[in-house]
Parts: sequence; C-alpha cells; structure tokens
Amino acid sequence: MSGFLESMRCSECVDWGEKRNTIASIAAGVLFFTGWWIIIDAAVKYPHMEDFNHSYHACGVIATIAFLMINAVSNGQVRGDSYSEGCLGQTGARIWLFVGFMMAFGSLIASMWILFGGYVVKEKPLVYPGIAVFFQNAFIFFGGLVFKFGRTEDLWQ
Amino acid sequence: ALVGLSFSGAIGLTFLMLGCALEYYGVYWPLFVLVFYIICPIPHCIARRISDDTDAASSACRELAYFFTTGIVVSAFGLPIILARVEAIKWGACGLVLAGNAVIFLTILGFFLVFGRGDDFSWEQW
Repeated sequence: MSGFLESMRCSECVDWGEKRNTIASIAAGVLFFTGWWIIIDAAVKYPHMEDFNHSYHACGVIATIAFLMINAVSNGQVRGDSYSEGCLGQTGARIWLFVGFMMAFGSLIASMWILFGGYVVKEKPLVYPGIAVFFQNAFIFFGGLVFKFGRTEDLWQ
Repeated sequence: ALVGLSFSGAIGLTFLMLGCALEYYGVYWPLFVLVFYIICPIPHCIARRISDDTDAASSACRELAYFFTTGIVVSAFGLPIILARVEAIKWGACGLVLAGNAVIFLTILGFFLVFGRGDDFSWEQW
C-alpha cells in the first residue's frame, strides 16, 4: 500500500497524441448511443401513432446502417494501400464508402424533413417527437463522422 | 488500491440498492443497470485477447471495444432517466441510481487502470 501514490499518473506523463484514437472512439460512442437513447425516450413517452408515428424509426435505422458502412472500410483501403486489400478491392471500397455517405446524408436530410414536414408545418401540439428524431439522426451522423475522421491510422502501424 | 476500489464499489452498489429498496421508492426496476455493469468490461477483454497488445499503440479492434464500452456506459445512464420520465421509478430513485452508476463505473475504470497493466506489475499493486 505504500507504493499507492507512486502508481498515480501525472498528466504530463500521458502522451495525448497517442490517445487521439481512444478519445475519438469514446466521443463517437457517446454521440451515437445518446442519439439512440433520445429516440427510445421519445418512443416510450409517446406510444400512440398520432403523437409519434413509429415508422419514423426507419430514419435512425438507415443512419445506423450508414454508420456501420462508413466505418467498415478503412482509409487505407480507399487509398489503395497494397497491404490492406479487402474483398472488394479499391474501387469496391470507394463505392461502399460512397453509398454509406449517401445514406448518412440522406437520413440526416430525412430527419429534418420529418421534423419540419411532419411536425412544424402540420402545427402539431406536440413537437418533441420530431425534435427527437432530428437529434437522433444528427447525433448518429456526427458520431459516425467523429469515428471515421477522428481516428488516425498511423497509430495502427 | 484493491481495498479502496472494493470500498468504492460497495458504495456504488449501496446507492443502487437504496434507489430500489427505500420505503418511499419500493420498485426494483433500477436493478436492470446491473446488466450493464456486468457486460461493461467484456468488449475490452475481447479486444485484449484478440490483439497482441504489445505491437501497436492502438488498433481498430481496441477502438471498437472503447466505442461499445462507452455505449454501455451511456445506456446505463440513459435507462434510469427514461424510467423516471415514464414514472416507472421516482426521480429521487433515478438520482440515486445515477450516482451509484458514476461510482461503479469509476471503480471499474480504476480497476482496469490499476490491474490492467500486465502481470509483471503485480508485485507492486498492494
């Protein structure tokens, strides 16, 4: 027990450059899962279809699939680094990434459409479910971006 | 260090049980966060088994493990809040459970920081 204080780390000892990937992963995790818990909250509070049409969940599902697609390919595969050849090749990786980003942007735009077209324009008394859908998709989108671009592959060498 | 971690773990679980068992609260729904406590170290352990920890500063597998672990932690905080919003538990119980969550997760984190470094450090852990 006498060595307890010596084992505590000082903040100068930690190499923040090396921790960049960890911090990006954690931030992306917080964003992504917060998005899903927001929509779970809205779905639980408003179980009736008039308040919250549950088919709006499809938007979040597409956003999640897009997140998985975007992060399934590494930047090395898209650039064509010869050591990380995936089963689709470089062109396949680019098409996969392209479709993934299209779905991600599409779900973000769809969520804005749902908020404005489904709730604001119709002047519904209860706007919170629309806001929840929008924030869910926004959080998932930004979580995906942080996870994709916040990590550097140099640390994998 | 182990004694300190055990103590804080016990405090955290006490908060959780208080959130369920006090006369005024009475419902046992908050115990579901125990599931999150138990599965929380699993991604980290899987990533450590799969990747040889010594050769790279980081790896895609470890980062994915951090992502899922963060997700589990967020879920453990989100569940009591949603339960309180639908009036399944009272807000006081929710507050106790959240406090217990924070203490338990700090304990688990401390556990991994102190004991996760490797077997050659075991002689100086006490």
